[in-house]
Amino acid sequence: MGYADPSGGRDLLGNRTLLFIFICAFALVTLLQQILYGRNYIKRGLQFSWQNGEELGNWTGIFNFTDDGAVKTGSDAGGRYFEFYEGPLDFNSTKCLELRRDITNVKVLSMVKESDLFDRWKSLQVCKWEMNVTEANAFKSALTRCCNAPSFLFTTQKNTPLGTKLRYEVDTSGIFPISSEIFNIFPKDMPYYRSQFKKCAVVGNGGILKDSKCGKDIDSTDFVFRCNLPPITPKYVEDVGMKTDVVTINPSIITERFNKLEKWRRPFYEVLQGYENASLLLPAFYNTRNTDVSIRVKYVLDDFESQQAVYYFHPQYLINVSRFWLMQGVHAKRISSGLILVTAALELCEEVHLYGFWGFPMDPSGNFITHHYYDNVKPRPGFHAMPSEIFNFIHMHSKGILRVHTGTC
Amino acid sequence: MKLQGSRMWLCPRTRLPVGASALGFLILCWLYVFPGYRLPGHKEMVREVLRFGPGWRKNRTEMDSFRKLLQDCCDPPHLFSLTKVNTPLGENLWFDGEFFHSLTIDNSTRSLFPQDTPFKLPLKRCSVVGNGGILKNSRCGEQIDEADFVMRCNLPPLSREYTEDVGTRTQLVTVNPSIIDKRYQNLLWSRKSFVENLRVYQQSYVYMPAFSTKRGTDPSLRVYYTLADFGTNQTVLFANPNFLRNVGKFWKSRGIHSKRLSTGLFMVSAALSLCEEVTIYGFWPFQMDLGGRYISHHYYDNTLPLSGVHAMPEEFLQLWLLHKSGVLQMQLDQCKKDVSSQKPH
Repeated sequence: MGYADPSGGRDLLGNRTLLFIFICAFALVTLLQQILYGRNYIKRGLQFSWQNGEELGNWTGIFNFTDDGAVKTGSDAGGRYFEFYEGPLDFNSTKCLELRRDITNVKVLSMVKESDLFDRWKSLQVCKWEMNVTEANAFKSALTRCCNAPSFLFTTQKNTPLGTKLRYEVDTSGIFPISSEIFNIFPKDMPYYRSQFKKCAVVGNGGILKDSKCGKDIDSTDFVFRCNLPPITPKYVEDVGMKTDVVTINPSIITERFNKLEKWRRPFYEVLQGYENASLLLPAFYNTRNTDVSIRVKYVLDDFESQQAVYYFHPQYLINVSRFWLMQGVHAKRISSGLILVTAALELCEEVHLYGFWGFPMDPSGNFITHHYYDNVKPRPGFHAMPSEIFNFIHMHSKGILRVHTGTC
Repeated sequence: MKLQGSRMWLCPRTRLPVGASALGFLILCWLYVFPGYRLPGHKEMVREVLRFGPGWRKNRTEMDSFRKLLQDCCDPPHLFSLTKVNTPLGENLWFDGEFFHSLTIDNSTRSLFPQDTPFKLPLKRCSVVGNGGILKNSRCGEQIDEADFVMRCNLPPLSREYTEDVGTRTQLVTVNPSIIDKRYQNLLWSRKSFVENLRVYQQSYVYMPAFSTKRGTDPSLRVYYTLADFGTNQTVLFANPNFLRNVGKFWKSRGIHSKRLSTGLFMVSAALSLCEEVTIYGFWPFQMDLGGRYISHHYYDNTLPLSGVHAMPEEFLQLWLLHKSGVLQMQLDQCKKDVSSQKPH
């Protein structure tokens, strides 16, 4: 009596329907790949293995996709373009000008194949880098107009008076009134001024840093920015260095790794101790969820009588920076903290060096690399637009505004 | 026929049963609010205490029989706090202060418990210190400190000004999660002041009813994390909700009608079983002391509790009966006579 017709339900997911769904899904995925990675995405994999095979003359090319291969193939960088030049060329030599134009001519990332861009980048490595003062100054003054890091990078008592109703960056309806308790946490004024430091290093966490041996170079700079509490344990010191002056912490790290600091706090404090006297930088006013956790960091440090300073990004600065980069073509839900630090560094330092910024799954020579130098945890897809950010850095490198290090030091 | 039967159930033909049951319910409520027996008032109690006088003598048989009663109902030596022994992994812990709420013990929670009840049993002489205003100017500090094991309730202040009256030593102090909430913002922000305040209790156990109320669990666990982080030498013990529930039932059957027993009575019940001799101080729920002077609610302040949670006079009556029968000693007057503060009668 109460039974329904069994065939009625089954027909809904019948063989033909399932097949149709599969075909649709496949078509959709292919279409998405086409859109996301450009027309030549499918061809490229074949091309790479074909090239490697040709070079080595046999099929051992497959083994080149291990990490060790990076050094080997990196040494004959740019072989396709220049076989005769050994050693570095002057940045402003005609050849280098040409090479730089090769990169700056690529206006949009999707204009060329990724491998093509890599090749151009690789061949540029034969040139020594030099700062182009006019270009750099033009860029820096553009930044001053939009963002003005020396007075708006952090919330300070000067730019956020008592009683201000601070507007969040993302939750625009959210408003955070500055009470006297919070106000007292803020520094009196910005601790840094314009072009205070001669040479800065901004260290990203890209897998490209692994086995780069850049630790000494990074440590020799005047000021070092790091992102998201990266490990700088002895295991990595050779590649990433020790010196840290500012380190950003993403509140999601605190939430996930340290239980929002609601339980044990010493593990977190001990991690911070690893950075000695580095100042901590937190996006407390990014969205409403981050505020409590970020402010708690200050209390933890006070409780343990640590001398480390805690600063909070000014939400308006973050808004301005992301608008600025949107105009430069970085379309992302959120720009990465690395990009924010680079933006700040450009204003605070004369010369900016980027290490570990390479947001592609393979290094310029085509070897697969891990996502971070310490692990291979992929981020949420569609959140950051890493390739587009890196593409901007490469452009700026070719213009002489900052220097991107991707090889070994 | 069938239809009629179901109708009967829905709306009975006669009104009488409904009215009768409502009346019965009302009578029950009435009896609950105004019970047939009457508690002795303040004056009667004072008269009783003065009549009994200072001649207290301990009664070993009564003591043993009462300890046996407690042992049968609650087994304090084993169930006093949550330990790895009495709480196996995966046990469903029913909260005693909630109507229907439980927590399954997982590995991370269980790792916070000690292996077994950490006291060396049986304890010899114990002092249980309540926070009643009667302790003020009692000069009982020395006598309290003489005991081998001193239990205090709800983080009482032990600063210099109270030392003479309440002593300095503490072996066990209870903390109510609501105190953590009110005074220390649930330990979510700065934790230093909490640790600093707890330093007074030196090397004591901190006894927390973590699994009694839903709201109390997180703050109580945070107390553990805080003390662990700062590496203080206090040890956190979590009250066993089964123990608390059984003690509650035990006293309910002896005529204490309240939502919840006071921490002091929990401590006295535990002490009666764990210790050989128990002396209690600062248990006096009335506004005037034996000499008729007004006293504050606590010896350190005069904030009154929420009404209707604890039934202090009833609890006091029970303790007084125990005092009379020689099971425990209750200190109500001054330990050392203070000439200046005595009024001539």
